[in-house]
Amino acid sequence: MSVLLVIFLMWAVTYPVRWLGLSLGRLHLPPFWLSFLQFVPVSVFAALVLPEVLSSPEWPRRLVACVVGGLLMWRTGSLAPGILGGFAAYWGARLLGL
Amino acid sequence: MPLWLGMVPFAVAYAVTARAAGLSVLETQLMSVTVFAGASQFAAAGLFVSGANALGIIATTALLNARHVLYGLSLSRTLPLTRPQRVLAAQFLTDEAYGVAVVRGPQEPGGLSFAFLLGAELSLYFIWNLSTLVGALAGAVLPDPAALGVAVVFPLAFLGLLVPLLKDRLTVLVALASGLGAWGLSRVLPGGLVILLAGIGGALLGAFLSTRKQNTETPA
Repeated sequence: MSVLLVIFLMWAVTYPVRWLGLSLGRLHLPPFWLSFLQFVPVSVFAALVLPEVLSSPEWPRRLVACVVGGLLMWRTGSLAPGILGGFAAYWGARLLGL
Repeated sequence: MPLWLGMVPFAVAYAVTARAAGLSVLETQLMSVTVFAGASQFAAAGLFVSGANALGIIATTALLNARHVLYGLSLSRTLPLTRPQRVLAAQFLTDEAYGVAVVRGPQEPGGLSFAFLLGAELSLYFIWNLSTLVGALAGAVLPDPAALGVAVVFPLAFLGLLVPLLKDRLTVLVALASGLGAWGLSRVLPGGLVILLAGIGGALLGAFLSTRKQNTETPA
């Protein structure tokens, strides 16, 4: 499948969802499914992070980067120091031969 | 404004990853113009790198963006919009725009308005697309992103989205369960499917545990 088609289909599954929510002001979802939607980001982000770190051939460096980056994000509450610090930690670990 | 600082490195990192995955500058930019969803664009770029199949990428996008139903639902309860306003506002709705609208909107004179929402959305849209362009062009200049270890930015960026969501023991538990579940599944299944299954599984676990907790805390 061509990249352009993939991008178009990504848009086609994203836009209607945004529109749907804005158009359903009075709808009441059962608490279980409201809760399910709330947990989707946590669950998906974690599922994207862990295998990317642990299944990599250079997992020790990535683990160091994510621990340092994660702590920085947690303490500073912002993304930029976390990414930069994590990337620096990655290079630190790499230069140390980890 | 502070949100821009969070978006710029994220958009640049997305663009560099997308370019490393073999997408052209035009394709990289087109995704920011149309899809305009940081997390799923990043996921898609990562999945393009790992050679995941197209359906996996689209399914991951759909799953990641399902949360926008919640934002729309929540906004439409406080801000009644006409049909054309909904059609327009929907294209630019993001986590950040929702956050700004909900937190700052009520402080505006006259409360949260369509103009305020659209203003917040468009300013983020503009910054996101500008940063994508910068990243896409810089990505073309970089000799070999893989050799520079740029791949590590992908888990770091998602960690940046994940960390603020870890508010209590339950969210940490859900994150650990889906993360470790995904790691296990990734040994036997392709990438897109792993995210889909681990994502649904983790969210079901969270929904099950939180609704059970509420039921025991507030007896009928």
